Amino acid sequence: MKKVLEVINIKKVIRDNEILKGISLSVEEGDFVSIIGVSGSGKSTLMYIMGLLDEPTEGEVFFEGVRVDFKNHRLLSEIRNRKIGFVFQFHYLIPELSAAENVMVPMLKTQKSRKDALKRAFSLLAELGLRGKENRKPYELSGGEQQRVAIARALANDPHIIMADEPTGNLDSKNTEIVMDIFLALNRMGRAILMVTHEIELARRTKKMVEMRDGVVVGIR
Amino acid sequence: MNHVVFISFKLLSERKRQAIVSVLGVAIGVTAFIVMSSVMMGFQTYFIEQAVDINAHITLKNEEQDEADRILRVAYGDGVISEVLGSKPKETKDKIVDYKFIISKYMKSEDVKGVAPHLTGQAIVRYGIKEKSVNIIGIDPQLEVKASIIDRFMEFKRLNQLNVDRNSIILGSLVARDLGVRETGKKVTLVAPNGSVHVLKVVDFFNSGITSLDQTRAYLHLRTLQTILDRPNQVNELVFKIKNVDDAERLSRVISRETGYYAESWQKAYSNFLKIFRMQNWITYMIVFAILVVSAFGIFNIMMMTVLEKKRDIAILKAIGFEDREITWIFVFQGVFIGFVGATLGCLFGYLLQEWLSSIRFEVVGLIRARGFILDRSPVYFAYGFVFAMFFSTLASFYPSFKASKLFPVDIFRSGG
Repeated sequence: MKKVLEVINIKKVIRDNEILKGISLSVEEGDFVSIIGVSGSGKSTLMYIMGLLDEPTEGEVFFEGVRVDFKNHRLLSEIRNRKIGFVFQFHYLIPELSAAENVMVPMLKTQKSRKDALKRAFSLLAELGLRGKENRKPYELSGGEQQRVAIARALANDPHIIMADEPTGNLDSKNTEIVMDIFLALNRMGRAILMVTHEIELARRTKKMVEMRDGVVVGIR
Repeated sequence: MNHVVFISFKLLSERKRQAIVSVLGVAIGVTAFIVMSSVMMGFQTYFIEQAVDINAHITLKNEEQDEADRILRVAYGDGVISEVLGSKPKETKDKIVDYKFIISKYMKSEDVKGVAPHLTGQAIVRYGIKEKSVNIIGIDPQLEVKASIIDRFMEFKRLNQLNVDRNSIILGSLVARDLGVRETGKKVTLVAPNGSVHVLKVVDFFNSGITSLDQTRAYLHLRTLQTILDRPNQVNELVFKIKNVDDAERLSRVISRETGYYAESWQKAYSNFLKIFRMQNWITYMIVFAILVVSAFGIFNIMMMTVLEKKRDIAILKAIGFEDREITWIFVFQGVFIGFVGATLGCLFGYLLQEWLSSIRFEVVGLIRARGFILDRSPVYFAYGFVFAMFFSTLASFYPSFKASKLFPVDIFRSGG
């Protein structure tokens, strides 16, 4: 399988505090990798680096086999826009935009016409069970619905990998199950997923579980 | 850029109240600028045009010098003589010798439109029991119309009547009012400084709208005044009308050098007024500048607050691939849009206010006399107001936009947004 993302000997120091102490990890096409660990273990920091949002202090990141130059901000933005989809614990939907408009934003950035973007946004929202709620503002949706809109936004540009940072951390058990089912379905369709979670039960349902403690990987299942 | 404009307007449209306040701030600034400029400049331009064209662009005089003083200064130098006592000024010292030659010489000049001789003095005009001290000016009506526009201010257009009837006089409209002369054809008595008394017929009234002129002036024929003042064939002033009024200062120096007399440009003659006007303009523009700066600060505050409130949105936009410059433009566009709408509204309000002001009728009696506001309705003030407003609102939005673009999304995500 082709590696979508690979990090080699990644170190991250923040204010003299070594958060990551030489981590190597890869995500292949069709992988569903979960990173678990207690709070402060460095799992989110690792995800930010793998998601090209943050620069490692040391080490190398390869995206689809090409070494990432963290000084090239334009290229980083381009990769994040077209090839990575983000889902966070807090949905981070723009409150002024409707559900469909929130999903449209990454597509508009790719110069897709507003009409096409809106069409795809409606289609994605329908796939995620939000038909009829496309024009609602985020505050008019439940927590689970908001998170599904965020997932639709992550899928907008048909990314090569989805990165989810505690995507169910703010949801009740029913919505957690819905979101997890969506991720599993997406993965079955061949989408690579990297998920950070502290819920071991969710992590067990993924294909690969990476356990972190104090900035190092302590186990891979 | 579509996506940037889309998000920019979405953010702005959801904050209508703040946007409207900002737009109104800019609009008020632009309106104030347009109206204040047009009122101030309207008044100043009117005053300068009237004053300059009535009097002269350049006035050639023989500067009165005390002969004893002059001789002593030549003999002992400026530093030695501090004061000369006992010498008595004589009227004849201010005459311009060879004035006919000077007139014919400069009438041929390309820069000069016309030259006219004046003999000026002071006298008392009596009408019944009323009397008033006036500046009397002897003119040659035929030459005068080429060197000034006083004929335009004659109420009955009878300047030439001075040629027809040499024992006639034209009174300033306020002089006539003060004396109680309400119609032409009345006889007034003129008492000259030498004590001679002359009866003259009022043939017209001079009404320039400039109070200081209308209440002190009386015009006679040059020959008549020469006779009255016992100064045959003498003039003490030559007035020049030139083609380019802004060239008066330079030409006055040339004429002064060539003739040996003192040539005073209109700028020098009205330097006090021009200084006051300049100061007035500074004060006006400082006030307007302050209004625009305050409205810019309004935009700045709102934009800063927006950036602080929108940290989470900025973070997610950056995460999904928006570049720093795109984040900057999202906020700069808002400032530009506020500036554009505010400036456009300001221009509209300015125009409407100008219309209203120009329709108001009331008596203005002061430095000038007018009925209502004298407005300079040049489109230049609209253009300047628009450009200033756009500049300030763009500038005000630039720093918050820059700050927004420099937010590090990971910091926001780490703190839980």
